Amino acid sequence: MTRVIVMDLSRHNTVMVGHDRYFILQADGRRLLVRDYCPHRGGPLSLARRTPDGRRLSCPWHGTKVGVAAVQRTCLPMVLSGDEAVVLLPEGEDAPVSVIRKEVLANLPPDAPCADGTGGPNTRTTGAATGDAATTGTPCP
Amino acid sequence: MTLQSQASSADKEVGGTLGQRVRAFAGHPLFRGDAQVLHEPNPYRRMLVPDALAESDFDRPPAAGQWSAHRSLAAHRLLGTFYEAETVLLPEQGLAELHDDFDLFYGTELRGLREGSLSELERFAFGCLDDAVDVSGATTREALDAYFQHVVAEAGAGPSPALKAIAEARDRESAADLYLVQLALDGLTEASAMSRNLAGAYGPEQSALFKIFIDEFGYGVYDAKHTTIFAKMLRSRAMATHVHAYWNFYLAGPLATNNYYYYLSRDHAKFFRYAGAVTYAEAIFAPAFVEMVKVFRDIFGDAVDLHYCDEHAHIDAHHGRITKEQVLLALADRHGPRVVPELLRGVAEARLVGGWFEEDTAAQIRWADDLSRHRELAGAAPTSDAPPGRIVLSPESPFGTRGHDDAMVLEIERGEADLIATPTGPAERLTRGDALLIPAGRLYGVKAVSPEAVCRLHTVTPSD
Repeated sequence: MTRVIVMDLSRHNTVMVGHDRYFILQADGRRLLVRDYCPHRGGPLSLARRTPDGRRLSCPWHGTKVGVAAVQRTCLPMVLSGDEAVVLLPEGEDAPVSVIRKEVLANLPPDAPCADGTGGPNTRTTGAATGDAATTGTPCP
Repeated sequence: MTLQSQASSADKEVGGTLGQRVRAFAGHPLFRGDAQVLHEPNPYRRMLVPDALAESDFDRPPAAGQWSAHRSLAAHRLLGTFYEAETVLLPEQGLAELHDDFDLFYGTELRGLREGSLSELERFAFGCLDDAVDVSGATTREALDAYFQHVVAEAGAGPSPALKAIAEARDRESAADLYLVQLALDGLTEASAMSRNLAGAYGPEQSALFKIFIDEFGYGVYDAKHTTIFAKMLRSRAMATHVHAYWNFYLAGPLATNNYYYYLSRDHAKFFRYAGAVTYAEAIFAPAFVEMVKVFRDIFGDAVDLHYCDEHAHIDAHHGRITKEQVLLALADRHGPRVVPELLRGVAEARLVGGWFEEDTAAQIRWADDLSRHRELAGAAPTSDAPPGRIVLSPESPFGTRGHDDAMVLEIERGEADLIATPTGPAERLTRGDALLIPAGRLYGVKAVSPEAVCRLHTVTPSD
C-alpha cells in the first residue's frame, strides 16, 4: 500500500526511509525528491557540487560526475503545492520514515562558495569511467 | 467611480496588449454598472469597474499567493464574463425588454475582444498554478488513490474556515448570506462548466460523468434542477434569485474557483486535470454541505430552506463515489500511468483553488463583521506620504466594488457615504472626518448618501 508523507519544504529538505535518504534537488525550475546516493559507491549527492556547466553533480567522495538528469530520474512520486510536499512512497516501503533538514550543497550554483569558504566544486576527474548509466564522470583515486 | 461617456471603445481595441483589450471590453456600456448596489434581472449587464480595472497591470500575472490582489479580482470578473458568454443566459422575465443587451452581449464586437483575449487572460489568471503545483516521480494508480484519500480525509477533518467564520461572527445572518452569495456564483448556473465535457466519445467514464450531470439538472424536471432549489434557498432568506444580482459581492477566491472549472473544461488537453479536479470537488461537497446545514440551522432554525444543501449532502456522497471509482481511477486504469500526473495535478489544483474560496470568504466575513474596530485601527495606521487617491461620488454614481493590493485608509473629506462590504448586512455610514481601515484584498464599495461625497484613499505603509 502506498504510504503518504507530508513535508513542509520551508522547514525540511530530506526524507529518511529506513536506511535510504532522499533530498530535495532543484533542477530545471522544479523541486524533486531524489535519492541521496551516488551510483559509484553510494556517496551523498546532496553534498555534491555542480560542475561549471551545471549539468552534473560532482560526488564529494570520489569526484564521480553524475548527470543531474540521471539523478532526477531517481525521484520519488511527489505532489507539490506551494511549500507542501506530499510524498507517495511506493508499495513495499514499510521502513520507518523521518523528515529532517540538512545541508544541501547540490542546489548551489557551481561558483558559489562552500559554507567553509573554501570555494568551488571538486573537479578532479582522473581515472576510467565507471560505465554506470547514471554516471558520466570518473571516480577519484 | 466617475461616470464615463456612453460611447463604446471596444471596436477600437481588437489588437493591442492584453491590458488594452480587456480595458476596452470593460469599458463597454454593458459593463459600466449603475447606481444600484444589486444588479437588476439582466444577465448581460455586470459591473466590471472600468476605472479600477485601468489600475491593473496585466503584464504582471499574480502569483499563487496573490489570489486576492486587485488585478486577480479584475481578471476573474472578466474571465467569468467571457466564459458565461459561451453559455446561454436568458432572463426569467423574458427577453422583450433586454433584446438589445442580448444582441450586444453575444454580438460580434464583444465576441471579437473575448476571443482575442481569452487564452492570454487565462494564462494571466491561472499561470500561477503551473508554479504552485507540481507532480513528479513515477506516479501510479495506487499513488493517485493514496493521494486522493489523503487530501479528502484532510478536508473532512477540519472545519471549513468560511463556515467557522460565520459561526463566530457577531452578525451571523449577514455572514451566512455573504457565504450564500459566493455559492450563488455557481449555484444559479450550476454544472455549466461540466456540460463542456459531455460531448465526444470516451467510453464508460463519459457515461459516469453524465449520471452526475443529469442529477444536477434534475432529470429534466425544472423544479428538481439544482439551480431551482438553490434559488429556493435564497428566496427563503428574502434574497434576490436572478443570475448575478449579487455580482458586486463575489470575491476573488470564489470567482477563481468557479472560473477554474471553466478553464479546464474549455481546453480538452486538460481533460484529465478536469477529471481530477471534479472528483476532488464532488468528494468534499457532501461533508461540506452536512457542516453547512448544521451552521445554517443553528442560525436560522427552520426559517431557511436547506433543501439544496440536504440534496447535495445526499447526492454528492454518490457523486463522490462515482467520480472516484468510475471516472478518476477508471481513467487511470484505462489510459495508463501517463495520464496519472494530470489526474493528480487536477486534484491538487482543485484543493489549492478551493482553499482560496475558503480563505477569501472567511477573511471578508471577519472584516465586514468588525468594521467598528477598523475605524479605530485607521487612526493608528501609518500611511504613505504620497498624495492620496481622491474619489468624488454622487448618489447617482455607478456602484462598484473593488479591493486593493495594500491596506488602505478610507477617509471622508466631504459629505456622507456608506461603505458596503456585505450583500445584506448594514452599511457603515461614514461622515466628514471619519476613516476606516481596509485590509489588503478586502472587497468594498462606497455609495454617496449626500449630494456629493469626497473620499480620500491613503496607502498604509508596512510597519517594521
